[in-house]
Amino acid sequence: MRLLDALWKALDERLELTPLVEFVQHKEVPQHRHSWAYYFGGLTLFFFGVQVATGILLLLYYRPTAEAAFESVQFIVTRVPFGWLIRSVHSWSANLMILAAFAHMFSVYFLRSYGKPRELTWWSGFVLLLLAMGFGFSGYLLPWNTLSFFATRVGTDMVSKVPLVGGWLLKFLRGGEDVTGATLTRFFGFHVAVLPMITAALLGVHLALIQRQGMHIPEGLEEEAARRKPLRFVPNFMMREGVVWLVGLAALAALAAFFPWELGAKADPFASAPAGIKPEWYFLFMFETLKLLPAHVLGVEGELLGLGAFSLAGLVWFLVPVLDSGSRLGPRGRAFFLLGWLALAYIVCFTLASFAGVFK
Amino acid sequence: MRNHVLAAAALLVVWAGGTQAAPPPNAVRPPGKHAEDTCTACHMGLDEARLRTPAQLTDSDIHHTQGITCAGCHGGDPTSEDATIAMSPTRGFVGKFTHQAIPDMCGSCHSDAAFMLRYAPNIPTDQLQQYRTSKHGLALAKGDTNVAVCSSCHGAHGVRQVSDGRSPVYPTHIVDTCGRCHSNRSLMTPYGIKGDEVEEYKRSVHYASLTKKNDLSAPTCKSCHGAHGATPPGVSSVSNVCGTCHPTQRERFDLSPHKDAFAALQQPACESCHSNHEIVHPTDTWIGVGEKQVCGSCHSAGDAGADAALAISSALASATNAIASAQLRVGRVQRAGMLMDDADVKLEDAHQALVLAQVEIHTVNPARVEGQTRAVLGGTGAAEKLAAAAEAEIRYRRTGLFISLAVIALAMVALILKVRSMER
Amino acid sequence: MPGSNGVTVISRRGLLNWLLGTSLGATMVAALYPVFRFVMPPKVAEAPVNRVLAGKLSELPPNSGKIFRFGSKPGILIRTPNGDVRAFSAVCTHLACTVQYRPDMQNVWCACHNGVYDLQGKNISGPPPRPLDAYKVDVAGDDLYVTRGS
Repeated sequence: MRLLDALWKALDERLELTPLVEFVQHKEVPQHRHSWAYYFGGLTLFFFGVQVATGILLLLYYRPTAEAAFESVQFIVTRVPFGWLIRSVHSWSANLMILAAFAHMFSVYFLRSYGKPRELTWWSGFVLLLLAMGFGFSGYLLPWNTLSFFATRVGTDMVSKVPLVGGWLLKFLRGGEDVTGATLTRFFGFHVAVLPMITAALLGVHLALIQRQGMHIPEGLEEEAARRKPLRFVPNFMMREGVVWLVGLAALAALAAFFPWELGAKADPFASAPAGIKPEWYFLFMFETLKLLPAHVLGVEGELLGLGAFSLAGLVWFLVPVLDSGSRLGPRGRAFFLLGWLALAYIVCFTLASFAGVFK
Repeated sequence: MRNHVLAAAALLVVWAGGTQAAPPPNAVRPPGKHAEDTCTACHMGLDEARLRTPAQLTDSDIHHTQGITCAGCHGGDPTSEDATIAMSPTRGFVGKFTHQAIPDMCGSCHSDAAFMLRYAPNIPTDQLQQYRTSKHGLALAKGDTNVAVCSSCHGAHGVRQVSDGRSPVYPTHIVDTCGRCHSNRSLMTPYGIKGDEVEEYKRSVHYASLTKKNDLSAPTCKSCHGAHGATPPGVSSVSNVCGTCHPTQRERFDLSPHKDAFAALQQPACESCHSNHEIVHPTDTWIGVGEKQVCGSCHSAGDAGADAALAISSALASATNAIASAQLRVGRVQRAGMLMDDADVKLEDAHQALVLAQVEIHTVNPARVEGQTRAVLGGTGAAEKLAAAAEAEIRYRRTGLFISLAVIALAMVALILKVRSMER
Repeated sequence: MPGSNGVTVISRRGLLNWLLGTSLGATMVAALYPVFRFVMPPKVAEAPVNRVLAGKLSELPPNSGKIFRFGSKPGILIRTPNGDVRAFSAVCTHLACTVQYRPDMQNVWCACHNGVYDLQGKNISGPPPRPLDAYKVDVAGDDLYVTRGS
């Protein structure tokens, strides 16, 4: 339209937009056997966008105090028009975002896209995953119902096991010795200010890196990628991505309408914990592992050992771009490939088994 | 010297006669301070348990802790260390009391209002007067020593206040205290008392309320029979007794034809349907002339009473069913994710109306019962309307969802086609 | 591409563009409609946690009482014979029946077991073991607001 053109011309004269446009437009997405995996990152971004939007909407009515939090969520769900939809979408999108993030991470891992020069992208991505889980953990407490109260208590109990700084860390997270209204206010602050700020910064870095470095073509698929022409990011790949995002949107709407998120009962700090307190599904594999460990192993507290093992595993995962250099077909490459499948199998099996009630 | 002896003799006569007389000065100390006497000091060291126990109980005895020595009841000199002087009849020593003598002995202080005022401003002083009208008191006056006297229930030594949770006459303990004699069938039968009243009472809602819910206002033996004036309520006063706590039922009963009919038949009111000791939670199934139904004791099928019972029973049944089905529907919608606080309130109102309907049973007037059951149906109707609105809302949401899914699917198709056409 | 008799036929491309635009637009509307409805506050502007509008002064003559709802529990609003407005929880402290105001007794009465509370909410007769919880009353013009402590 003429108006848009005029607007563009005006901005361009002042900001020199042409190089910027070229930067955006030059990106190409290679096509090969596994290029379906390229959609996961964008899907994660989509769900994150939904979270920001629905989160801001919820902020209009939510009250972060122990006295009013539960009632305000109840108010949103029962009296605000479409409040039930916004709230359920927010809760479901959180889960789908983390699911997409895991899918994205594992597909990047198996395609070995973390190799040089993309180490920073892997590192910023890993931290983004931790931030996403932090969002999940802090957000879970906000409705202040029985399940979330006790899950938070159990979850934060774990940090006290960290040697030396455990006690300080516990008080920092809880805003006191125990989980109280102070914890709620603090978690709220983390959830709506601290974590978004850090995430925005890291996300910017993550996306800028990808834009700058372009997409990685997995080892062995270079020939196929060359044969099948790459897609232009704008508009071809973006339009395909739009289709995927619409699928995500449809899934969110269906889940919100058919499986509305439960309100539960208001948290009573003095009541005894109900049986079967579990954290959200993305923490289950760690939770069940820690529960399985015996109280003491060789004089060390079992849970501490478990935490240590997971930290070590996380560290190895984080350092994978440095540890696994060289060819995919080399011994190291194959070892790490196997490691990845083991990790995935472990997480999937433990999560599914927990749902099936195998761990009593 | 002769005057002193005369005075002592006079005192002895007065004391032994048991008429109201103030206790000897050194036998009663200032109130509120633990009485110390040689009696306790000496008896503590005795071998025979029968004589030692009373001394051991002085610390938990309200009389002693308020300044009344052993001599305050038993006479004698509580300051002398010489047993022959301390327990000398010249000093007024009476020793162990006969069963007959106990009420008057206790009453010598407890009926003296001026004396009791030293200890508490509002303490009752009519116990002896009441006791004399009771079955126990009347029997005792005729010479029966098997009946209860003051110490039978309150204890003789180690007497605690009624408000003390360890007292045998604390509300939760009364039934067991009365039960010491009243569950003994061989003791009770000569009086024409069955002896299973305690067992029956222990199966009642009142006993459950007292012991399980710790509701100290729940009736126990003394609540209906009186404490000191213990007497079974007469036939005409049964509804008065029950009506103290159940006034609404009593008011309704008084409006009914049963009031005059029962009086004419010399039948006790409430007890005829609800029993006197084994009072359990009534159910709507009691109403009717069939087996195990209370109306059948006087009415038979086809008479006016049976017709009224039928009308009442069916009104209650329809109200109960309405509540059950409304609860089911609201519950279903709640589980589907809707919050139904407003419907819960309406159901609560319906439930209250049902309780009121059940109270109206006592008028035996179907019109009055139906007045309340109509309110029940109003409440359940409102709850069902709210449930229907919630169901409609769920359908609206699902419809909206399908429409938006269709729109999204359309957009997806359009995008795919556009991409295809662009890349052709 | 013009038709044989000069009428412009909508091109396939044009149709596709129209379809794309319309469906994406409809999706946007479907997504944004709930958002716009959401941001406009509902009639009851806040969750009735601790404060409710219990009644009107003009509808509460002296020596009368009125039951109102506080959340899902009943409360009782009283106007004493000398004109004071007071509010209490209407849940009897004995067995949780709903109490009522008795103008003939000038007291609060519970029909279930004849419990009586005075105009300060104190249990004075019958089985109730504790006084009724007292609430704060604020009079704003003709409106009576009742607040309960948290």
